[in-house]
Amino acid sequence: MNSQLPDAKILIIDDDRELGEMLKEFLAPDHFELSACLSGEDGLQELQEGDYELLILDIMLPGASGIDVLKQLRQSSDIPVIMLTARGDDVDRILGLEFGADDYISKPFNPRELLARIKAILRRSGPASSRGQHATVGALELDVRARRVTAEGESIRLTGTEFELLRCLAESPGEVVSKDDLSRHALGRRYMPYDRSIDTHISNVRRKLADAGVSSPSIQSQRGVGYCLLVDDNTV
Amino acid sequence: MRSLLIRIFTSFWSIIVITIVAAGALGYAYAERARATMQNFEISDAMLEASEALREDGREGLTEWLRSLPGITASLVYVLDDRGSDLLERRLPPPVQIAMRRFGGPRFRRPPPREFGNLRPARPFTQLIGPDNHVYTFFVLPPQGNVARWLFERGGLGIVFLALLISAAVSYLLARAISQPIRRFRESAVAIANGDLGTRVTDRVGKRRDEIGLLAQDFDRMANELQRAWLRQTELTRNVSHELRSPLARLRVALELARRKTGDLPEYDKIDAETGRLDELIGQILEFSRLDSETHEERTLINLDELIRPVVEDVRYEHDRAGSKARIAFDSGSGAEVRGYANALRSGVENVLRNAMQHGGDDGEVQVRLRAEPSHAVITIVDQGGGVAEDELDRIFEPFYRSKKGRRESRTGSGLGLAIAARAIAMNNGTVMASNDAAGLRVAIRLPLADP
Repeated sequence: MNSQLPDAKILIIDDDRELGEMLKEFLAPDHFELSACLSGEDGLQELQEGDYELLILDIMLPGASGIDVLKQLRQSSDIPVIMLTARGDDVDRILGLEFGADDYISKPFNPRELLARIKAILRRSGPASSRGQHATVGALELDVRARRVTAEGESIRLTGTEFELLRCLAESPGEVVSKDDLSRHALGRRYMPYDRSIDTHISNVRRKLADAGVSSPSIQSQRGVGYCLLVDDNTV
Repeated sequence: MRSLLIRIFTSFWSIIVITIVAAGALGYAYAERARATMQNFEISDAMLEASEALREDGREGLTEWLRSLPGITASLVYVLDDRGSDLLERRLPPPVQIAMRRFGGPRFRRPPPREFGNLRPARPFTQLIGPDNHVYTFFVLPPQGNVARWLFERGGLGIVFLALLISAAVSYLLARAISQPIRRFRESAVAIANGDLGTRVTDRVGKRRDEIGLLAQDFDRMANELQRAWLRQTELTRNVSHELRSPLARLRVALELARRKTGDLPEYDKIDAETGRLDELIGQILEFSRLDSETHEERTLINLDELIRPVVEDVRYEHDRAGSKARIAFDSGSGAEVRGYANALRSGVENVLRNAMQHGGDDGEVQVRLRAEPSHAVITIVDQGGGVAEDELDRIFEPFYRSKKGRRESRTGSGLGLAIAARAIAMNNGTVMASNDAAGLRVAIRLPLADP
């Protein structure tokens, strides 16, 4: 599908050894090199040592739960994370997204779907597109190439997905962007019914902006439609 | 709970009041007897004996006579010499002092006693002159024990009032000492029933060594067990879910690997679809069993319009994507708010709506209406799928029940959707009822409105 993608190293943390083996075989033709860790502790260790580009994390782990692993991981790393969650377990899913997972897929998943998500996220976090490298919206400065956001010189840490959402909204301040568009841009997939991930990511961004003391621009929600970035007129 | 306090209080207090009244009555009876004796005293021969005694043995004789009087009478008769002192050296009661001032005359060399309010003076009964020319004055105390007089003239009312007050206070404290811990127990039981399994009662009633303290300990042990059982149950459900899903996950990956190696076969799609169905079923069983134990969610104020709108959008979106021509119309004429568990309620509405979409005919319209009645919010979901047989209207909310029509159409529902809905709505103190409408099934969800 995308031939420029070099071999990418992916780590999966899941206590199901066989599943890891089969996934390794499944992903190999697409130039993904999958390694598997069976526990969160091993996984965190392995992530520090290898140069992985993406983590697939099972939330239902024996020992330290996936959420704990995610919390620890996010203290030091912005590596994209796809969570494996139980279908219908909204609590885990929302917790995971709140703690900085980029996307989730419910287990048992269709492996082709997993492959599509891996590609979407890696493509997104690959070399920046030819679009504008810098954008300034209100008090925010977006450095697209470095995927960095600063407010008055202070840098705000966003995960890849959160950055993409903000960038997508910043391209057209004042205009409502539908959840479907946001989902395609930030997650590389269509908006799914019952999917609250966009809302959760957006609320993460809002929280981080608020923590950094940024009051403009602010993200407004248009119920049932999408979101829009509003810049306070005084500060333009 | 108040009633127990009141009952114990009234029991104790009425016993005390009865005791006071009985004591008063006894005292009254005793005084009546004394009065009767005194009346006899007036007409008896006692005075003759007294004058005899005085004549023969002078002052000593009279003193001896006085000492020999029977108990009750003796306490009511005072004999004073002309210096104003009682022959038996007794302290003079106020009535005698008043009488002394009024009738004693100049022979008494005592300062006039002070006023004694509205006390009645004693009757100066008679005076005798002894052989030594001394005058001995006899006083007889007015008949005592007239309760009414004691009450109203001698400050007795205040004493009675004070006694009632003290006994009421004591009764109240005692009643509270019993009913208060019971209230605490009840609060804890309610908290546990509402899902706060960490509630313990020992912290609330404090450390006590009596029966209540022991009961508190037993109660807490029970709560401990309950919490452990609940945790085990949750753990089990999670584990089952995990254990069932792992093979399914491997199955799906294996299937894709097989597809790659052998090329596409129609059977693979079938396997894939069935795997998906199994997964969905496990998810629904989990959701169903979780509704029983899912109490870590907080009750919040829920605006029903805001809750239903996204659900309608999601279901509509899902069906559009699946190429279905079924439509949903949402008619909300109310800002009704209820207090409850938002996730459960959302799931309840969603399951009813999905059921309606599934059975409502391929190009039918499902109508969702939200209305507010004086005390309830009513959500009605009406489809155009022809409804179900009358005798099945209640049964469709049972787990895994499939209506005859549903079975004929071999639809692919899990059979749990409406059961989940019924349970989720019951959790929110609501009711759900199905009836047959002109064109299809009408499901009405009634929820008590939140207090404004």
